[in-house]
Amino acid sequence: MKRGGLQNYIIRRLLYAFLIAFGVVTITFILLRIGPSSPADKYLANMSARTQDPAKVIAAVEARYGLDKPIYEQYFNYLVNLARGDWGWSFSTSLPVIELIKRHWIYSFQLILLSMLFASSLGLLIGIYSAVKQYTKVDYIATLFSFTGISIPNFWLGIMLIMVFSVWLGWFKTYYDTGLPVFSLANLKALILPVITLGTGMMAGHTRYARSATLDNLRKDFVKTARAKGLPEYIVIGKHVLRNAILPIITIIMFDMAGVVFGGAYLTEIIFGIPGLGQISFNAIFANDYPVVITITLIGAMVVLLTNLATDIVYTWLDPRIRYD
Amino acid sequence: MRRTGGIFGGRRNLIFSGLMLVLLFIFLLDLFVVDRIFEPFTYFYLFFAPLIIFYGVYPLYANRRLTRYYWDRTKRHRLAVIGLGFIIFLVAVAILGPFLTQDPTQVDFKNKNLPPVGFSSEQSIFDRNTGQLITTETQGTWRHPFGTDDKGRDLLAMLVSGTRISLQIGLMATLIAIFIGLIIGVVSAYLGGWVDNALMRFTDIMMTFPFFLLLVLIVFLYGSSLWFIILVIGLTGWTGTARLVRSETLSLRTRDFIMASKSLGASDRRIVFRHLIPNVMSLVIVIATLSIPGVILAEAALSFIGLGDPTVTSWGLVLHAGQRSLDTAWWIAVEPGIMLFLTVLAFNFLGDGIRDAFDPRSQI
Repeated sequence: MKRGGLQNYIIRRLLYAFLIAFGVVTITFILLRIGPSSPADKYLANMSARTQDPAKVIAAVEARYGLDKPIYEQYFNYLVNLARGDWGWSFSTSLPVIELIKRHWIYSFQLILLSMLFASSLGLLIGIYSAVKQYTKVDYIATLFSFTGISIPNFWLGIMLIMVFSVWLGWFKTYYDTGLPVFSLANLKALILPVITLGTGMMAGHTRYARSATLDNLRKDFVKTARAKGLPEYIVIGKHVLRNAILPIITIIMFDMAGVVFGGAYLTEIIFGIPGLGQISFNAIFANDYPVVITITLIGAMVVLLTNLATDIVYTWLDPRIRYD
Repeated sequence: MRRTGGIFGGRRNLIFSGLMLVLLFIFLLDLFVVDRIFEPFTYFYLFFAPLIIFYGVYPLYANRRLTRYYWDRTKRHRLAVIGLGFIIFLVAVAILGPFLTQDPTQVDFKNKNLPPVGFSSEQSIFDRNTGQLITTETQGTWRHPFGTDDKGRDLLAMLVSGTRISLQIGLMATLIAIFIGLIIGVVSAYLGGWVDNALMRFTDIMMTFPFFLLLVLIVFLYGSSLWFIILVIGLTGWTGTARLVRSETLSLRTRDFIMASKSLGASDRRIVFRHLIPNVMSLVIVIATLSIPGVILAEAALSFIGLGDPTVTSWGLVLHAGQRSLDTAWWIAVEPGIMLFLTVLAFNFLGDGIRDAFDPRSQI
């Protein structure tokens, strides 16, 4: 295909992603700033502030951070700062937002990465195997297992795992130890339960998709041809079936990755006390720390938009029949 | 589609519009003149019950052959039938259960942390006279077959109350979401042009929002009554439906039967209501069944992190309480989770069966 076609397509998609992200920021800003509480509220809990007149304290704090200006002006200022690369100031932690994100993103990242690896490797294996052995006992067990995995509420699964393995058996700590260095062996052990919690639902989904994608292709004529040629079964499956089945499977994995970043990972972080982006955004919501909330919402939206784009680009690479021009 | 005279004598739309006008009148009266004629829930049912009866149940009744065909195809999925059976059981529990069980809010500190029937647990009680901890063995009793929580509330009653809440949320939020999604999808596909553009860009924005974060944000800032939570889930959850309905409508628009009725001089309204909407309904029913579990889980997760309606006993709330006493009373956290799991499983089974039954391309 022409190189220019794909490049133009990517540029168009990026511009569009930018537009959508702008919409997300706007809606979040409005939702947060027309709400009934103010980030200045937390200063009232401060001992020194309590001796003074609460209205005065709030007014002073709001004046310092420009919160007393009309909403459209605040919004405009926020956008200008964002365009300059200034993500704002976190009221509840007294840090620049960018600094807060830098400190905490790695915890979310390692949890999500390990869960994805766990879910997609096992899910694909089980799914493909159960498709090849369709209508056998293995297939029924795998189907039942995937239904179970999809239906199990992951926050409940997390609690059950803590109860059995941490409280009763005492194999793991009930809380995530933040002192452990990231991507170390000790940390890996601490992440076993969170990864199972987050990964089980995804794995079940991957199993189902891998199974149905493989089954779709097993019925195709080219498989019959390959078998008629006398090719050994592992080549028929590995080379002819899987090559065609991989496209829908990639889609669901990418889709999951986008969805999971701000779906299940949230609750998993809360249950196990992992100080990732989910945890800090929750604290930020409760503290009405709107710059942090907007930033994390924006990160979530960007992850979704960019993975969608990446999926489409991976398509052209995996399947030369697909073109975007 | 065959025109049906039937019990409404061909004046179905007229009767329905009449009913809706009466409802609107009562609602306006409630809003401006008299206070609180009905609860918000009642309005909800008064709006959707006729809608479902007139345009959901009645066509199925009038078109018995098609109904039979769908049922036969669904029936072939054994798991779907099991799921349906369990859902019917849950509905019965939700309607009748609260009359048969104890008050779920009744606190009884003498009987706190009782295990379920057939189980026993060790409890440490602080003895005031000697100042020592006494460990006693507690047996489950039939008075509290599912045990009690850390305030001595009957867990069976709490779970029954939770069933009612969860089903209500699942049904209502899904109906709202489906209703909005259907309208936006059909309008967008049928009108096209800038309307389609604007609606789809808005849908894209809503879709990229991290759903759960948005939910937590809105519920935390603007109140956490059950009614509001249902409304928020409904108002944010329509995007998938809108997209699917739009693409389905786009493909239907080019079909011969739509072209034919257009060239026969059918009005837009007639094409939309008589041809497009009935034909996307099977898709919509499948989406609805499959999105109910997500809605139930979203509310449970909200209650679990402490943002649910504190005045109603939902499964998530019980789970939230149970998390604190994992080491002393495991059953408090286990039981609501099992209910949640079985309910979601049942809807997934049913949804899967319906999807295969309504998809003419699938061969069961």
